[in-house]
Amino acid sequence: MNDSEKLQRLKELLLDEDRDFAQKILHKLESLDQTIQTPEKLSEKVNPIIDKKLDVFVEEIPTKLGPTIADALTKSQDKVVEALFPIIGKMIKKYIQQEINQLTEKINSQVQDTFSIQKWQRKIKAFFSGVSEQEIILSEINKAKLEQIFVIEKGSGLLIASASNSESIDEDMIAGMLTAIKSFVEDAFINGQQSLESIQYELSEIYIQNFTSYYIAVVISGELNTSVKNELENKLFDFAQKNPISETTTKEELSLQLKTLLANE
Amino acid sequence: MNNSKKIVLIGHFGVGKSSLVRRYVQNTFTDNYMVTIGVHIVKKEIQLNQKSITLIIWDIEGKDDIKKVRASYLIGTSGFIYVVDPTRPQTYEHITSEINFITTQYPKAKYLTVANKSDLIEPEEIKRLFDSLQIKIDYFASAKSGDEVSSVFENLAQQLLDNV
Repeated sequence: MNDSEKLQRLKELLLDEDRDFAQKILHKLESLDQTIQTPEKLSEKVNPIIDKKLDVFVEEIPTKLGPTIADALTKSQDKVVEALFPIIGKMIKKYIQQEINQLTEKINSQVQDTFSIQKWQRKIKAFFSGVSEQEIILSEINKAKLEQIFVIEKGSGLLIASASNSESIDEDMIAGMLTAIKSFVEDAFINGQQSLESIQYELSEIYIQNFTSYYIAVVISGELNTSVKNELENKLFDFAQKNPISETTTKEELSLQLKTLLANE
Repeated sequence: MNNSKKIVLIGHFGVGKSSLVRRYVQNTFTDNYMVTIGVHIVKKEIQLNQKSITLIIWDIEGKDDIKKVRASYLIGTSGFIYVVDPTRPQTYEHITSEINFITTQYPKAKYLTVANKSDLIEPEEIKRLFDSLQIKIDYFASAKSGDEVSSVFENLAQQLLDNV
């Protein structure tokens, strides 16, 4: 073994361990580099950590961000209103414009119908009643219309007869639920001594006329003013007088009478 | 007059009144307990021995005392179904006095007593239990399995038809 071989052997003995170590680090680095450069591998490693952090974040939103947002909204109410006002304002304006256009069209079509009998009837009515023709037209446009009539047995809520101008859910169920609501209100708020007379919802109203063993519920759309209500009451009393309800009354014949009442309205 | 009859289910909360009604009318069952608020009304038209009858079924909210039930929900009832849960003694400990209340207040009405949840206890065991307590139960039914549910309503409907 010459000197250079000895030197080489010495180098191997001294540096082999370090070289192995350096080699291992190099492998590690290459592996890490590959992980970072390959999106699939990187997401495999990172996703669980992000998911866990996100879960914690979501859990903490109500406690941490909730009060902050509420506080920010309270402090800057004016700014919020300022930001929302144009959007909501535009929506309301558009809706009102549309409604006014529809109303104008209806009024115009009625006013332009110069030669109709209704127009002359209106003019005469306006002259004698002192109410302007425009107001009469407006009242005619939103005139109350009978949509459905139910004759319902008191207490049991069983449907005796019904008639309808439009499709609705099962009449027996309506009769039962209406009776349950009526009974509940009468028990809870008016001490059972008085009777529920109407239920209002947006553009319609259920008018209730009580009789001894049954009641009549009328679904009305449009404006139910006092004079229309009086007229309706009279019609229902007439109906009850002409059609006394007994054990022999059939659902079909009474429903037919109700249909006539709706048609003549 | 038409042949519609009002049937009311009464009993403590959680005995399975709504489940019995759902099983009979829709033939479905769910394990999720949803408390009835106020009243839920459903309708079922059936034919029995060539006679038709419409049952208007009032499934009212459970009460631990029948006197606490809103009287207006019970007026005009033709048939009552008193439901108990055999696994909860408090649901049948006052059954005799409550049935007496029904028969006194509504003498014309028919009634049946039903032990629901029969799938949870052996039928023989339930019978022994109620026999030992001298409580008359007409049906041991299960809304979950559907066992005897139709029989309860049809038996009551038949009694109402016979009563016409």
